[in-house]
Parts: sequence; C-alpha cells; structure tokens
Amino acid sequence: MNMMTDRKSTAAEDSLSARFDAALTELPGADVPWVREMRETAMARFNARGLPDRRVEAWKYSDLRAKLREAADLTVDGDDLTEAEIYEALGVDFDEMLSYRIVIVDGVYRSELSNLEGAGDKLELISMRDALNNPPKWFEEKFGQINPREDEAVIDLNTAFMSDGIALRVAQGAQIERPIHLIMITGSKTSGFVSLRNFVRVEEGAKLTLMETYTTRRAPDMQRNSVTEIEVGDKAQVEHIKYQNEGRRATHVTSWMVALGKKSKYSGFEFAIGGEFARHQTFLRFLGEHAHASISGAMMLWDKQHADATVVVNHDVPNCTSRELFKCVLDDRAHGVVQGKAIVHKRAQKTDGHQMARSLMLSEIAQFSSKPELEIYADDVICGHGSTSGELDENLLFYLRARGIPEDKARALLVNAFIDEAIERVENEQIRMAFLARSADWLGQKREEDN
Amino acid sequence: MLEIKNLHARVEEDEILRGLDLEIPKGEVHAIMGPNGSGKSTLSYVLAGKDDYEITEGSIMWDGKDLSELTIDERVAAGFFLAMQYPVEIPGVGSMTFLRTATNAVRKARGQSELNAAEFMRLVRDKAGDLQISMDMLKRPLNVGFSGGEKKRAEILQMTLLDPSLIVLDETDSGLDIDALRIVSEGVNKMRSPDKSILVITHYQRLLDYITPDRVHVLSKGKIVRSGGPELALELEKSGYAEYGEGKAA
Repeated sequence: MNMMTDRKSTAAEDSLSARFDAALTELPGADVPWVREMRETAMARFNARGLPDRRVEAWKYSDLRAKLREAADLTVDGDDLTEAEIYEALGVDFDEMLSYRIVIVDGVYRSELSNLEGAGDKLELISMRDALNNPPKWFEEKFGQINPREDEAVIDLNTAFMSDGIALRVAQGAQIERPIHLIMITGSKTSGFVSLRNFVRVEEGAKLTLMETYTTRRAPDMQRNSVTEIEVGDKAQVEHIKYQNEGRRATHVTSWMVALGKKSKYSGFEFAIGGEFARHQTFLRFLGEHAHASISGAMMLWDKQHADATVVVNHDVPNCTSRELFKCVLDDRAHGVVQGKAIVHKRAQKTDGHQMARSLMLSEIAQFSSKPELEIYADDVICGHGSTSGELDENLLFYLRARGIPEDKARALLVNAFIDEAIERVENEQIRMAFLARSADWLGQKREEDN
Repeated sequence: MLEIKNLHARVEEDEILRGLDLEIPKGEVHAIMGPNGSGKSTLSYVLAGKDDYEITEGSIMWDGKDLSELTIDERVAAGFFLAMQYPVEIPGVGSMTFLRTATNAVRKARGQSELNAAEFMRLVRDKAGDLQISMDMLKRPLNVGFSGGEKKRAEILQMTLLDPSLIVLDETDSGLDIDALRIVSEGVNKMRSPDKSILVITHYQRLLDYITPDRVHVLSKGKIVRSGGPELALELEKSGYAEYGEGKAA
C-alpha cells in the first residue's frame, strides 16, 4: 500500500487497500490467474493514485475523495427482498413494461427473481460471478477491453472489487424487442460498498434495449461503484438506459465503457433523481465508420444533491456522428454538473459532433457547472457545443396562471416542459412514458417533503 | 358589473394609472382607446393581477368581489379573462394538454365537474371549428410556430373554453389581417350576452367596425378623459390622438 503520491491517504483509501488484500482469495475468479492478475494490477494502480479529488481535472466539480471519507463494508447483510418490495423501491410503475428482468440484490445476482422467459437462445446470460470463476471464451476474449481506461481510479477500484453483475451476449442478428431491465437494488439495512460489473456483447446486426436501474430498499447511504462494458457490433443497435433512484444519502458512481462498430447505433440515456453524490460517466469510442451515438440525460435534483454526468467521446475513425443533450432541474442547494469531452483523431474526418447542456434553476443557491471540451485534430469536421442556465420564465408562468391554472400546477408544467425535451430522447416508449410520469410527479413529491 | 374606482397603479417606480374610473354594466361592450403610453396595457395587466403591477389606490370590483384580493388564477375562476396582445410560445407544453389543464382547473374552481378526455375532445372540436383552428394546429406545442393570426384565434378559443363573464381584449387586432380580424370578431360577438361585460382595448378604430361598442372611452396619462358612444371612435380615427397624447399618436 505504498502511495506514490505525495499526499496522505484517507481512511477510505487505507481501508479499501487493506480489505483488498484480505478479500482477494474470496473474490470471484480467485482461481483464474488472468482474473486475479487483472484485479491486482487495477488495485496497484488505484493505490498509486487514490480516489479522485478536485485536483484531477476530470473530477474538479465532483470531489469523490472528500466525499468518501470512510468506505463501508464490502459485505452487506443480504436481507431478502420480496418482488413487491423491489417494485415499490423502483418508484416508477414498470408493471406494464413487458420486459425481461434481471435482479441483483445487495451485489448478488438472483436468478429466482429474474425472468428471461421467452428470450430463447438469442441471449446468453450468466452471472458475473460465474463468468469470472469459469470464463467462457466470448467473455475472456474481450472482458476489460471494451474501450478500456487506465486513468480512472473508480474503474480500477471496480475491477479490483467486482463481486457480481451480469455477462450478457446477444447473438448475431438477434432482435431483442423487449427491453432487458437490470435491477440493481440494495436491501441491506446498513450501508455497504457495492462493486457491480456488467459486460455486454451485442453481436453484428443485433438489437438490444438494456435498462439499468439503481435503487435501494432500506439503507439510504449505500456506496456504489458500478461499471458496464458494452460492445456494439457492426450494424448493431443498442439503446442503453439508466434510472438512478438511489437513497437520499447514497454515493453513486457508474462508468459505462462503450465501443461502437461500423454502421452501428447507440443511444445512451441517464435519468438521475436519487443519491446525495452521484456521477455517471460514459466513455464511448467509435471503432468503425458511419456509426451514430446519442448520449443524453435528465437530472432532477433538490436539497443538497450533487449529480454529475461526464461524457468522453473518442472519434477514432471518419464519418461518425454524436449528439449529446443534458438537462438539469436544480432546486434548493443542488449542484448539477455536465462535462462533455470530444476527441477527434486526425484521421476522423467528416466527424459531426454536437453537445448541449441546459439547466433550469429553481433556487438562487442551486449551482450548475458545465464544461465542454473539444480536442480536434482533423480539419474537416463539424463540432459544436452550447450551454445555458436560466430560471423559470415569469412571463410564461403569468400566461398559464392567466388561464386559470394554479401556480403550483403552472410551475410543474413548465418544469416538465423543460426536462421532458431530454426524456423524449428515450426511444423505448414504455420506458419513456414511465420517465415522463416520474418527472411529472417530481415537484409534487418535493413539495410533500418540504411540508 | 365591473366597477373601477380611482385606480392608481405603478410598475416598479412609475405611476402609470392615475385615478382611473370605469363602469361596465353586464351585457355591455366598452372600448378603451388611447395613444401609446397612455396606460392601456397596464390596465389589462392590473386587472389580470400580473406581478410587478402594484395598485396603490382605488378598487376593482367585479360582481361584488374585490378582484385585487384574488390571485391571478382565482380571478379567472371568478370569470375574468384577458386575451393578450402578445400570447407567449411555450415549447414543451402541448396545446391540447394546456387547454384541458386550464379548462379543468377553472371548472374545478367553479365547482363544476372536470371533463374527461373524450368530453373535452368533443368540446374543442366544436369550438375550434368555428374559429377555423385545425386539430393539427392543436397538436403543436402551445403557440409555437403559430402565425400572428393563429395566436389570436387561439386566444379566442381559450376564451370560449374558459367561459368567462368579464372579458378584456388587449389590442387583439394588432397583427391581424382582415380575414383573421373578422374571425376573431365573430368569436367575440358570440360571447356577447346579458350576463357578460366586455372591454376592448385598442389603438385603432378598425376593430370596432366588427365589434360595435356600447361606450367608447379615451385613456390619456392613466385616466379616462372622455367618454361617448360609438361615434367617438370614428371621431378619434379622423382627429388622431394629438390632443390626448404625448405626441406619439398614430
């Protein structure tokens, strides 16, 4: 545990380091040399770097090191949750949603709560625990290599501690029309440090809608550090959605690593309403030409919630397009962060990239930080970015009230008009409708809590 | 009856209305004309209860109720409706959603039953047809991409759906061509009834060719300075506002 940096390690860093040494032989894949080596390499890098703080440019608005002073236990007590409790915790009515369901409770894949009935042989699904203990070839050949990064301490931390999750393969040409709903819920009464890892390969020409839901049933202060790797094969189409509904004192970090093949299409979306400190990172790399990526998000925050959406897109090849739209509704002392970085390689001519970040401030002390970064080495590209921040327009509010709509309702209509532009980016209709309903409830729920 | 007595109002530090008196009995249409800057729009916003428009003296009584004590939406529930000079565009709020929300909010406040989607649809189809508003137009976000004439027709549609008894039309004729003017005027004329009071605020006489007022008042420097029958509007059309205004007469 020799820190190579000049600073003193925190209690959280020290305990994570000590726990790794103790847990290494217990973690899945302990008997698989390459898995064990992968964990050790990652942990060594983490030890050298520590948790990211504001001196790390990419984390300047979200000082995880300051936030995570103590790391919670790796093991959580694993209280059983009933199906009804899980659905209640979601806070969104997905009953009508005809989805395949995969449930992970307290960091453990639960086959008896999951339902992939009817998916047939188009899907190959195993738990991450099983995949690490007995890696199939399709897993081993790409795991940890989908748009990998060596400069992200949280990803290294996940690799070191990953306990479970899913490994999913969608066969070539398979059209999975129903969304797969991956529910990652914690039922423990006490806080825990949960590291889930998902690995998804969508083969050539296949189609998948995957929704990741993060929520909690009991402990409001879970610490979560998830990673999802997703390979989008040539001509494949993936819609990848996240619903972040963590407990009100939770620390939540997720990193999505995405690689796109030629003529593929990827739509990533995050709807963030939970957590006290949350960061969602998307690292996306174009590997084949004529691919399109849309990365969007909606955040609705109040109290002292902090949520950060960070996107890094690497245009390595020509003729690809990317679109980003993030919208934040910020009340009380909330802080919304949107960072969008695009790196256009010199051979990536005809790149067309655009990003937009907008916030609606409902309070004078809410904060919005937006940081676009463009690194362009090609000369024939179209790249743009924009950012706005504003309050509710009093003239619009007056107009609605002058038509008999009470003030609360008028405000809600305008808030939803703002945020729904982002939610409309969700292509799957059932999920989109569920999110629209959730955003419509948001102000009312806030008012109830205020009273 | 609408009774405005000695109304003084200011916007921020500027006193705009300076002792305005006006009575509109039920069943009558009155017009207020006046030069730019005389306080016409201020009067309409004060009646609506817009923030930043502060009444410093006087009273506004409608049907025995003191309007100034009601919030903006409570005034609408009490029967007030202002057709705006510049209807705003609200991207993200669908026209139909807006119309139904407004209609049901007002019905609820008046103790009437709320309309379900089918009932509401029938009502809108009926009213929109008269105003030559297509259902396609109502599929768009509120007023977004509407022409000037479409916006004003949409205002009249809102008016008919909310079934007001005290109607103020603020420069409804501005930006309208003759056809739109005719459609809008017909919409207003249909609202004329023994239990409604209507106030038409306008700079020009031309709207009054279509909506014949019972009384015409001249507003200047925040007060009614002259009142008369419909012939007063024609006289103003000829003479202009030079003798009433700040030299900005049309």
